[in-house]
Amino acid sequence: MTASGPLSLIAEITHRCPLHCVYCSNPLEMQARQNELPTETWKNLFASASQLGILQLHLTGGEPLARADLADLIAAARQSNLYTNLITSGVGLTEERLAALVAAGLDHIQLSFQDSQEEPANEIAGTRAHALKIELARRIQRQRVAFTMNLVVHRRNLDRLPEMIALAEELAADRLEIAHVQYYGWALRNRDALLPSRSQWERSLEIITAARERLKGRMRVDFVGPDYYAKYPKACMGGWARTVILIDPAGRALPCHAAGVIPGLEFDNIQDHDLRWIWEQSPAFRKFRGEEWMAEPCRSCDRRTQDFGGCRCQAMLLASDAAATDPVCTLSAMHGIVEAIIDPVHEVHAPPPGWVYRIDPVSAV
Amino acid sequence: MSQVSADSRPKLRAGCRLSQSAQQGDVLLIPEGILRLVGPGKKILECCDGVRNVSEIIRDLQSVFPAVDPARIETEVHTFLERLHQKGVLDIG
Repeated sequence: MTASGPLSLIAEITHRCPLHCVYCSNPLEMQARQNELPTETWKNLFASASQLGILQLHLTGGEPLARADLADLIAAARQSNLYTNLITSGVGLTEERLAALVAAGLDHIQLSFQDSQEEPANEIAGTRAHALKIELARRIQRQRVAFTMNLVVHRRNLDRLPEMIALAEELAADRLEIAHVQYYGWALRNRDALLPSRSQWERSLEIITAARERLKGRMRVDFVGPDYYAKYPKACMGGWARTVILIDPAGRALPCHAAGVIPGLEFDNIQDHDLRWIWEQSPAFRKFRGEEWMAEPCRSCDRRTQDFGGCRCQAMLLASDAAATDPVCTLSAMHGIVEAIIDPVHEVHAPPPGWVYRIDPVSAV
Repeated sequence: MSQVSADSRPKLRAGCRLSQSAQQGDVLLIPEGILRLVGPGKKILECCDGVRNVSEIIRDLQSVFPAVDPARIETEVHTFLERLHQKGVLDIG
């Protein structure tokens, strides 16, 4: 299958982060500071991305604010005609620095919240960040930049969903993204403590549907459901190597955040190959592009052009076979694996298991 | 239920801007999204400066496209702006 051009570039510019979220989506083995790409390499990459037809740049991490050259990177991206989105915890973003990022051409800032209440929010993040985030959100309101409040939901905070939506309204978010935890990276380690019950999930869907209708035209509400309760899998990354390319802090190009869990894939580095070659030719990108790799039930399924067989990493993590149908699909022969995980999760009475916090890659070295 | 009226003065919200690429043509870039602009979409959005109201925008477009049925332009502009407003990318002032 030939590749059509990518539309989005996810730039993980650092894995350093002041937070220790129990559901961190970064890979288990993170890149250390000394491996991070220099400013000029990122700038050149943004120019190549634009030439390849990429329209949007997502600056993420780790915590992208940990890079002192962030405003430079944003200015370069804007100069290359890319739409720039900053995905951040907000920790360390002063009024002056925020103004500098917006002046450099930042289009959109996505600020993560862990809860509506301070104590549980700080517990999830493993640090005292909640109050700072609220303060920052009020500063963002005063800047001409799109503001998304990003809420990660799970068993422990889902019952406060109406309160969390009210917080987004109070903070005048342009967009609210409510995302159930996905079980990759660190989140998989804490799955038993994070996975909601079926009734919690169903209730959350009702609340979100009502909020979306009520807030139409004022605040866009986007929602990512919990994979394990889905009937069909999500179209992970919009399909493997179909529209998105991710570059990690050391310059490795991946089709998604979690692709490192798939054995046998080698990720070419943008310091050795140009971006177009990687997109079109790199074996990791070609591996699951299109439909040739699919087995049944995907191969003859009408939904294969909508969900592309679901998530390759999830198939690897749950069924130990990256080329299998995503086991969250109710049509998968291995769906029993998922049922066995969700069946014991009933109403939440018992005290949850303790958290396993992740350690910052710098202090781990 | 329509919220865009003849007096509305539409303007793109912060973080929503027009762009183009060789591959996609004219696009509206929005937070976590790309809307491809076909037909008169780009022309309509270029009129959304927060100064002109919808009646004035329609009148201006009718004079730019004299060969097109004026009633059709009016309907298209209303439908298009309403759709973008619902998506949260347009302030209607």
